[in-house]
Amino acid sequence: MAAISLRTELLRLAVPLVKTHGFTREALAQSALRLPEPHKEPLSEAAVTSIFGSGDDARRTLIQAWMEAAVLNMKSKSTPPSLLELLESRLKWNEPVLGHLPEAFALLATPKFSSLLPLDPSVAVRHNIHIANEACNLVGSHDIGVRRHLPLESRADVSCITGQLAWHRKRAAAAIAYAAAELVQLAQPESPDVPYKVLKQQLDRSQKALQSVEEVGLFGQYVARSWAGIGKSMGL
Amino acid sequence: MLPLARNASRRSVLACASRLHSTVAHAAPSVAYTDPARSQDPSVLTTPRDIPPALREELESALRVDQAGELAANWIYKGQHDVLGRDPATGPLIQASTALPSPTSIFDRNGQDMWDQEKKHLAVMNKLQIQHRIRPTLLWEFARLGGYGLGAVTALMGKEAAMACTEAVETVIGEHYDDQLKAFEQLPADHPSVPLLKGVIREFRDDELEHLDIAVENDSQKAPAHALLSTVVGAGCKVAIELCKRF
Repeated sequence: MAAISLRTELLRLAVPLVKTHGFTREALAQSALRLPEPHKEPLSEAAVTSIFGSGDDARRTLIQAWMEAAVLNMKSKSTPPSLLELLESRLKWNEPVLGHLPEAFALLATPKFSSLLPLDPSVAVRHNIHIANEACNLVGSHDIGVRRHLPLESRADVSCITGQLAWHRKRAAAAIAYAAAELVQLAQPESPDVPYKVLKQQLDRSQKALQSVEEVGLFGQYVARSWAGIGKSMGL
Repeated sequence: MLPLARNASRRSVLACASRLHSTVAHAAPSVAYTDPARSQDPSVLTTPRDIPPALREELESALRVDQAGELAANWIYKGQHDVLGRDPATGPLIQASTALPSPTSIFDRNGQDMWDQEKKHLAVMNKLQIQHRIRPTLLWEFARLGGYGLGAVTALMGKEAAMACTEAVETVIGEHYDDQLKAFEQLPADHPSVPLLKGVIREFRDDELEHLDIAVENDSQKAPAHALLSTVVGAGCKVAIELCKRF
């Protein structure tokens, strides 16, 4: 238990060092100097290997810890929190380490063991979906299958138990918007404002698209109910 | 042992466990999710974070399946009610109408009909999904339409077939909840949400077994081709459970 706590603590202390040392074993070694009772010297290579894993495994561990810290630090100034502000704060977290990120993503996407594919594309998808999911949870986007809870005291009309995939749609939209913005941020580090504009544009577009889909669905329901009414009146 | 006898023996063991549990009078655990006064309780708002990824995955897939299962159960009862709702004997079993009180209706220990209980189950499962940050199943619409189709088709076959469908579904769900309780033993007992989660699952297991008893008391075993119907419905439920765990 103590070993797990030390590892977690060292990772937490190594995250701010990524800015100066990159996602390297050196950053992990230097984290020992920042302990409450600091070591006299950085961790040795053998110590880094035994605590975090050998070779690039240690670097992957540091990258994962940095990404977790990024998600935990997503903030919004408004109340209730705004999805745009949360995703913007996540983009801002990238800025100090922008130069190290392409290599970090490449390392994560490289399969650990021999594989037919040289890269694992699911890593990028999982990364964006994780950020979108956390942001939607923070916003309070508690979409579930039903549009509203059933009143327990009454014999509720079950037509309100309407299945919808709002949970997945909102997160997919947020993930796509964030992915586009982060891609622009990595590709154009010399234009720091452009990713935020891209993020806002993508979110606005996806919101309009979601609204259109819901309106089409609602219209479809009205048409279906009209046909059902016509059918009943004809005795079908 | 014949499948019917094996099912009956397992049902009686589970039913004994549930009756032993229910002899002690206490508020149902699910009240924590329906009582507005408890809406800020940590037990209904927080989820255990520091658990191994494999256990987290197990918790997520379990609650995802439970939510989909309750959704399907609601739509099974809707399908049955749409066909048999006007039948004076069966209609009130599924959902009693306040306008048509039936002296022959059979209620569970809380005086609610079966469909009302399933609505409560679904409402609580939806809150559990939000609390534990679970991804709902991608097969939501399939669960809904499949449940309605199953309920309507078995109801069209007759009252006994509808009860046989309920018996088969509730047997699988009761066993499923029982297996989940065993798996949830690994969750950290000191987190406020865990004892409540186990209590809710236990309560819902008992409710489903009570529905099973009601179905058997109402001639489910007199349904045409009862063994075949039960096997097909039961197998379909098990396939649906495995699919919802993954998708």
